[in-house]
Amino acid sequence: MNGIFEGILLFGLELLAYIAIYLIVNEGLNIQLGITGVTQFGLVLYVSGGAFTAGYLATRLGVWIFHINSRGLDFISGNIILTTEVNSFTQSQPLDGIALLFIVIIAAAVVGALLGVISSVPAINLRSDYLGITLLAFGEILNVFGTAYTPLIGGPPGVIVPDVWAWAGGSRFVASTLTLMVLAAIAYLFIEYVVRTPLGRTFRAIRDNEVAAQSLGKNLPRCRLEAIVIGSVLASIGGALFVLYAGSVTPSFTRYTWTFIPWLMLLLGGIGSNVGVLVGTASWFTIYDLILYYKFALQGILPFDVVWLNYIVLGVVVMLILIFRPQGLIPEKPLRTGAEKRKK
Amino acid sequence: MALIELVTVAQALIYASLLSLMGVGVTLLYKTTKVPNFAHASFVTLGGYVNFSLISAFGWTPYLGLPVAFVVVGGESLLLFFLVLEPLRKRKSSVALLMIATLAWHIAILGVLGAYADALQTLLRVPTRNVVLSYLDFSVGPLPGIFFVSITVTVVAAVALYFAIERTTIGIALRASMENQNLAESVGINTTRMLGIAWFLAAGLAGVAGALLPMWTQLNTSSGDTLIAAMFCVSIVGGLETLYGAFAGGLILALAQIVGTTLLANSVGVWVTGYEPVVPLLLMCIVLMTNPKGVGGMKFWKRFK
Repeated sequence: MNGIFEGILLFGLELLAYIAIYLIVNEGLNIQLGITGVTQFGLVLYVSGGAFTAGYLATRLGVWIFHINSRGLDFISGNIILTTEVNSFTQSQPLDGIALLFIVIIAAAVVGALLGVISSVPAINLRSDYLGITLLAFGEILNVFGTAYTPLIGGPPGVIVPDVWAWAGGSRFVASTLTLMVLAAIAYLFIEYVVRTPLGRTFRAIRDNEVAAQSLGKNLPRCRLEAIVIGSVLASIGGALFVLYAGSVTPSFTRYTWTFIPWLMLLLGGIGSNVGVLVGTASWFTIYDLILYYKFALQGILPFDVVWLNYIVLGVVVMLILIFRPQGLIPEKPLRTGAEKRKK
Repeated sequence: MALIELVTVAQALIYASLLSLMGVGVTLLYKTTKVPNFAHASFVTLGGYVNFSLISAFGWTPYLGLPVAFVVVGGESLLLFFLVLEPLRKRKSSVALLMIATLAWHIAILGVLGAYADALQTLLRVPTRNVVLSYLDFSVGPLPGIFFVSITVTVVAAVALYFAIERTTIGIALRASMENQNLAESVGINTTRMLGIAWFLAAGLAGVAGALLPMWTQLNTSSGDTLIAAMFCVSIVGGLETLYGAFAGGLILALAQIVGTTLLANSVGVWVTGYEPVVPLLLMCIVLMTNPKGVGGMKFWKRFK
């Protein structure tokens, strides 16, 4: 009985953790696509950037912070030995584990900002469809570097990263899920705040009417770049957290998982609505678990791997949403400003 | 030893022909429907699997399947256009939503193809992943048959496309719908049908390129995905607004990617080849930053008009 309960608890915790990670990434997409109207098809670039930063830095930082004697071991071939040694330190010192987590997050944010600038500079002055094509082309490019340049994350086999929640012992998953949920809440509130600032209003003005925004003296490329950088920082942090939570990283971040699925969640919730992002992310995971459940029931009956059903169902779901309910579950509402409230 | 071997140049020319066939479709669809079509990746993969199925199931000779691939993939694109894009265009969806619709279509077709490849594997007991069919090819001296076939197909396609678009009545109607849809409709042109024709042609050419793919290199369910950046690079280098620029774009990208990488690998080291997929992206960025209209949009060509 106890075992079943623990299984359900672990399942629920993992679900919440993935919802939190995806919520951070999706808030990044929301500020770009939903609020500013940037055709962001290269989200996977920033996620993989953050993930590879975590994969590259976490063990190296741990060895440096805890003064571990690396005995001439390489960080790739000696990856498991060194990571285990770092873990023995994070097991006993919670503060050090959390410090490691936050340093990795900051590094991922810096990398994300850089990638945001690099990926959008070639086409930021051009029409938005050119920008979309360029971003799509950038998308999976880091996998090439991750595969070809082994010192980064060890090539195709990947590397493992230290467990920054090792100090929690048996309740590691509770601690990690709570941390992720707090960070996701911060990301959510941050975007909620940004939307209400003059910058956020400029973003929405650009989305709704480029020409009008330009006539009021708004610098379109500059504002788009700002939105992309804010979003890419969030997406990159999401990628780093994904790696730290999962404990390992390989150069296999696909357009499907980290661009198409976030788009799907945003479309489901309602593009441009911040509550919609939350609802979309949560309801997508519910649908996904249902698919997972029925999928295994169909396994063996169908003459092919049921994984392909995911692709078919999700592709069709997106097309149906686009055609029949493009505003999503929670349509975007006009923001209540201070002046409007005073009038009443 | 020659600086660059004849075989490498031949490889580059095969790659250039395939890329041109794909890129010209991207440009044609962009010009007609105003949407960068991400589903082009699925067109290529589907074409490849149509040809592979005909060869492995019915023992067809390799190049006999090309017209079938053209028609099947063209049919797929008509489904995409009439079932998904037309309803979206009618409700005046933004370009971003049209783009994600083509990506969603691509994902769905990817699932169908993956399931199909699995089923084919259990049915015929032949491997359906990493398919290479070049052993079926004929050869003339040191050059494989695909070299002659791919170049012939591309030249024929270019000439046929030119005559169909510049010289026939349907071509004139098509160009009119590209230039100004409302005006074309006001003189009685059925623009929806014209766009459907454009989709059929563009997708068919991509399907033929896909059908030729296993004769030259490996065919996978992810083949289209790996090539999608290159397709858009070809289209942008050639000029998104100029149809025939894609043929120049294909040649430039293929030379840069295959000959350029080989030259670099010979002089710097073999490790360079791992970064080969970066070439299309770099080329695309250079063109967008220096001359966003591409090769076909340069003022230079106006002198010949």
